[in-house]
Amino acid sequence: MTQTTEDQKLAVLNQLFTSATQNASIAMSRWTSGQITLSLDEVSEVQLDSLPTALDIGDDLLTMVVLTLDGEMGGQLILTFDDTNGRQLAASLLNRDLNTEPEWSALEQSALMETGNILGCAYLRSLAEVIDTELVPSPPYFVQDYGASVLEQAVMTQAMVSDRALICRTSFRRQGEVLSWDVFFVPTESLLTRLENAFVAIQ
Amino acid sequence: MNAATLDRKPPTVGMSQIVFLEQPETAHSVFGSCIALTLFHARMKLGAIAHIVLPRSSGREGQPGKFADTAIPYMLTQLTARGARGSGLVPKLCGGASMFGGGGPIQIGEENVTAVEALLKEARIPIVGRHLGGKKGRRVTFDCATGDATIEIVGQPAEVI
Repeated sequence: MTQTTEDQKLAVLNQLFTSATQNASIAMSRWTSGQITLSLDEVSEVQLDSLPTALDIGDDLLTMVVLTLDGEMGGQLILTFDDTNGRQLAASLLNRDLNTEPEWSALEQSALMETGNILGCAYLRSLAEVIDTELVPSPPYFVQDYGASVLEQAVMTQAMVSDRALICRTSFRRQGEVLSWDVFFVPTESLLTRLENAFVAIQ
Repeated sequence: MNAATLDRKPPTVGMSQIVFLEQPETAHSVFGSCIALTLFHARMKLGAIAHIVLPRSSGREGQPGKFADTAIPYMLTQLTARGARGSGLVPKLCGGASMFGGGGPIQIGEENVTAVEALLKEARIPIVGRHLGGKKGRRVTFDCATGDATIEIVGQPAEVI
């Protein structure tokens, strides 16, 4: 693929994922009583070998919620927090004081998973409308692990066919202040192609 | 950094990369279902670490470190060229976790382990250390002064193999 074609593809995908992020932002704002909004940071193709460096997510211990889309039209949506930010969100949603115990309680985990579920479903519903197909994610999975190890697994399907992975990165703001949270969406090649073609067709 | 780079001071070994080391260098890598294979020659104090992603290349293009069946021959050839012959090499293997609780995208951990074990057996290089499986990611630090691979898993004490 020439550079120009590659740039055009990324521009199309950028528009598409901006729209999905806006939908997710509306859902997130409702869920957090107007506190939290999202915006798309970048859609980029990253070399597998430089993935952690490019996304600045190497050895950090992160708290994550993973939603998986199975099948050919698949992908991974990963919501990441550092421990403090994740706990602050859980406390805010549960209307409780910040939990200082080292272990996350079941209720805290549940609050975060529900956040991932609401955000992910809104995001995927927006993409599903473009390709007129249902995109139903798995139940959210709560994990605390090295960010790079989770991201590595998320790009595994793309790694089967390419040395690069396309990743959409989203950032969060609370009343204008940027938070140390991220959402990464890693679609399969088939889903990407379908999205790209459908989006171009309706323009 | 290129996959088969000969960079002498790599901070990390990314997916598909192979890094060659000499005493007293160290390298580290973070991975889940992928495999980290370390090879160490105790007398020469030379070694290599690969972050292997998939078991077989099956004709696919990619950096040699990406596939077990291209990474291992490449590592052996390069180490032999530096004077570290196969008979003196000590391999250690870690990784191959089933991430996301075993759900989600392709779970290639077990296949990676099987492929690496078979290839080393074929090369008559017995594996001396293993730290495999589970459902969590690992961070490994390979020390080319000792051949030690220190493995860290979140919430567990570090282990040395």
